[in-house]
Amino acid sequence: MEPVWQIPRPALFWLLFTVVALAGLHADHLTPWLLGAGALVLAWRVQIYRGVWRYPGRWAKAVLVLMCGGAILASYGRLYGLEPMVALLWSGFILKLLEMQRRRDALILVCLGYFVAVTQCLFSQTPGTALATLGGVLLVTVVLAALHRRAEAGYWRPMGTAALLLAEAVPLMLILFLVMPRLGSLWTVPQPRQGAIGVSDVLAPGDLSRLGASGEVAFRVKFDGAPPPHNQLYWRGLVLSRFDGRNWSRIEPARHPGTAPQSPDLSVERRGAPVHYQMILEPSGENWLFALETPVPESPEVTLNDDLTLTRATPVASRWSHSLTSWMDYRAAAGGLGDGRRALETALPGAANPRTRELAARWRGEVDSDAALVERVLALYNSDYVYSLEAPLLGRDSVDEFLWRTKRGFCEHFASSFVFILRAAGVPARVVVGYQGGEYHPDAGYLTVHQYDAHAWAEVWLAGRGWVRVDPTAAVAPERIETSVADLLGGEQAFLADSPLSLVRFRGIRWLDRLRLQLDYYDYLWAQWVLGYEYRQERLLTGWLGAWDPWRLGFFILGAGALALLPVLLGQLRLARRRPRPALERLFERYCQQLARRGITRAQGEAPRALAERVARERPALGADATVISALLEEGMYGGGKPDLADLRRRIRRLG
Amino acid sequence: MPGLRAAFDRRYQQWLDRRLPSVPSCRLENRRLFIFPSGAGALYGALLVVLWLTATNFENNLVFGLTFLLAGLFVIAIFHTYGNLHGLEIVPLRAGNGFAGQDVDFVLELRNDGRRPRESIHLSYAGGETREIHLGAGERRRVRLSVPARHRGWIDPGRLTIASVYPLGLLRVWSHVRLETRALVYPRPGAAGPTQPARPATSEEGSASVPGREEFAALERYRPGEPKSRIAWKQHARGLGLHTKHFTDPVDQRRWLDWDDFPGLDTEARLSRLCGAALAADAGSGSYGLRLPGQIIPPGSGRPHRDQVLRALALFGLDGSG
Repeated sequence: MEPVWQIPRPALFWLLFTVVALAGLHADHLTPWLLGAGALVLAWRVQIYRGVWRYPGRWAKAVLVLMCGGAILASYGRLYGLEPMVALLWSGFILKLLEMQRRRDALILVCLGYFVAVTQCLFSQTPGTALATLGGVLLVTVVLAALHRRAEAGYWRPMGTAALLLAEAVPLMLILFLVMPRLGSLWTVPQPRQGAIGVSDVLAPGDLSRLGASGEVAFRVKFDGAPPPHNQLYWRGLVLSRFDGRNWSRIEPARHPGTAPQSPDLSVERRGAPVHYQMILEPSGENWLFALETPVPESPEVTLNDDLTLTRATPVASRWSHSLTSWMDYRAAAGGLGDGRRALETALPGAANPRTRELAARWRGEVDSDAALVERVLALYNSDYVYSLEAPLLGRDSVDEFLWRTKRGFCEHFASSFVFILRAAGVPARVVVGYQGGEYHPDAGYLTVHQYDAHAWAEVWLAGRGWVRVDPTAAVAPERIETSVADLLGGEQAFLADSPLSLVRFRGIRWLDRLRLQLDYYDYLWAQWVLGYEYRQERLLTGWLGAWDPWRLGFFILGAGALALLPVLLGQLRLARRRPRPALERLFERYCQQLARRGITRAQGEAPRALAERVARERPALGADATVISALLEEGMYGGGKPDLADLRRRIRRLG
Repeated sequence: MPGLRAAFDRRYQQWLDRRLPSVPSCRLENRRLFIFPSGAGALYGALLVVLWLTATNFENNLVFGLTFLLAGLFVIAIFHTYGNLHGLEIVPLRAGNGFAGQDVDFVLELRNDGRRPRESIHLSYAGGETREIHLGAGERRRVRLSVPARHRGWIDPGRLTIASVYPLGLLRVWSHVRLETRALVYPRPGAAGPTQPARPATSEEGSASVPGREEFAALERYRPGEPKSRIAWKQHARGLGLHTKHFTDPVDQRRWLDWDDFPGLDTEARLSRLCGAALAADAGSGSYGLRLPGQIIPPGSGRPHRDQVLRALALFGLDGSG
């Protein structure tokens, strides 16, 4: 029978504290049931330590396991997926607490704790999350240190040890981070389900106005060279061609591996100077991407669709960046639309919105070209419509109500009604959703596109010109396109309603605006250098080392590693140096050496006085001196006196 | 397989003997220290692999960063674990005596002359108990380690294992130090049979009185170890220093512990009986002597005498004299 191992009190304290901290870290994606189980186990563990309760028996453990498994299945509905997996890990972590009977168990718990802490980074990758996770890792390390230290050392020493060791490990981390190759996904893993907001593939009246309430970043763009003007920054996301009377939705586009759509009526001709740019996307949880018109992606993960939008192989689950080229001057499907396509792009099922249909039919007869019809509709918007985030709710005949009753709407109302009128008049048209504009960082020269920049506009097919972008919003509120929605609607209640603390709100206050831009810049650097480091690694290291080969990398790791370990080594050497011994002790040693030269060797443990007595007996000539020296030494070492060291040293030297 | 294992152990011991020969005292320097990941370290290594796989598959640079931080922590722990033993000095102070079948104690002094506190150092001799000690900066501390004594005679405790996993338990640093220290083990005390009264004196020295407790003989200077009951307190009170009263006993009070009293027994059994008899005689009154083949200890009493008798029994027939 092994002796009962009792966890050191500080280790238990830090362990329980760590469990609470990790629960806080994961509170977002753990169900309340599992957090409750954590609290129960915590209480149980404390009672075990106090000797009040016992370790759970086999049955109790089985029940606990079943309860956790049931809670996971009931809350997530599946076991495959990142959230249920982390929930399983968490359950294992807390249940192991109740099984911690040996040091080995505690070590397994520590390893699970590290893993639980690190998985937090799979859900969110902001600097704040990184810092919080680092805190979690520190706490687990404190537990590890406390497990290997006697309880009497107290609660704070393990914390000091863990902090020191982690701090010393940071340079090594940096070297490994810079140099270690990133292999890319070895097998497919479940991605977190994002509760992220953003443009969706179904557009109902009011959807984009809701995004106007959010100040979150959608993506950032860094242009190679001069950026296009603000009114040309149409970030196309999805093309919505199907209308069901209320919602616009997308017809799943055909994907093309190459850069040009194959079908003849969708041929694209790119003209003029290309625009190169890099996009850094915030996680959206969706696999559609945003780009300027006629994009050609560089990343092999991205494919171009026949409606000239982009699709990524997997949803964007974490910050991700890729590079693109676009041609702002283009002709798309200028050669003509196929019949099938034309039917799709003019379809208006049902009989809703009779007034609008009637108006369209009337105008159709009054104008001589499609282009003139477009001008006519835009002129209508320009007459007495209001562009606002705070649009009234619309009923069944949403277009009729908007055009004749409310006359107040956000971009989706204008785009939707515009496309409806054109289709009713037999002109192929479709709604495009995405973002418009963005905010330039004045110093760093990148563009930040926020959720409130979400926008809907239209594309109309005109004979001889192909698909042409028409933005009805520009007819109502040209400032929206020329400057920014924040400038235009910043005063409205609904703007940034979901982000009450967003600094965008205080753009009028100069220093706060500087601060906001500065913070945004740090976030941008974080995304560029940390989250997207693999895109820069090769260029950076090639720049440093001259070339990218295993030998150079190996030497770099060795050299930089030695440099990083040097302070640690020096610290250890400093600690290992002997403490300077007290002067009296050294003098006593010198005294004994002098006597030894005269043939008197001090016996083990012989006190100075006894030594002097022996000297007096065996070498009477030295007796007097020895007696004085011994008395002085004894007084200094044991008597609390402070003899004159110089005098003592002189006397000892004279002995020899 | 056991043969192979034994052969390996033997080779390892030989290698150790060559590498770390016996020393009077030692300071743990680079040459003497070994370091290797512990079981916990292996578990930690597995964790690092899992974390790296996670980072690679999720293409998550934060997870990469934390994985590398934990890998760095392991490397840093090597230095700290090593430093916890490096420079520590071990000096054997003394060894206690014991009887075969019991434990004997070895007292060591650990000297930490460096500026670092040293935590959780485990000391043990093979087969003996393990002690955990902590040393503050500049502290010296004595440790008593007991080792089971199986046979009489000199015993060498073998290699001292000194090990530590401080601070994180991920690595174990250790040394097997062979110190020049030994303990004298007396025979296992057997049932004390009847001892013979000293035979009537046949020679002149036999007629002389032997130190005893009946007749006052003389006052002598006090020597450490003499029973307090014999101290001449009156003389002490007069300021004449410590003296003890010495008595003599008539010859027939002496007892002889004789090798020949236990016919038919083998050497070890005889020694065991003699040892038991000596302890009984020492506990009782009177003086006693020992007769072994080729060695005679005249009757006497007191602690030094007892030790002399036991020592003769312990080393009888053995090579080691010192």
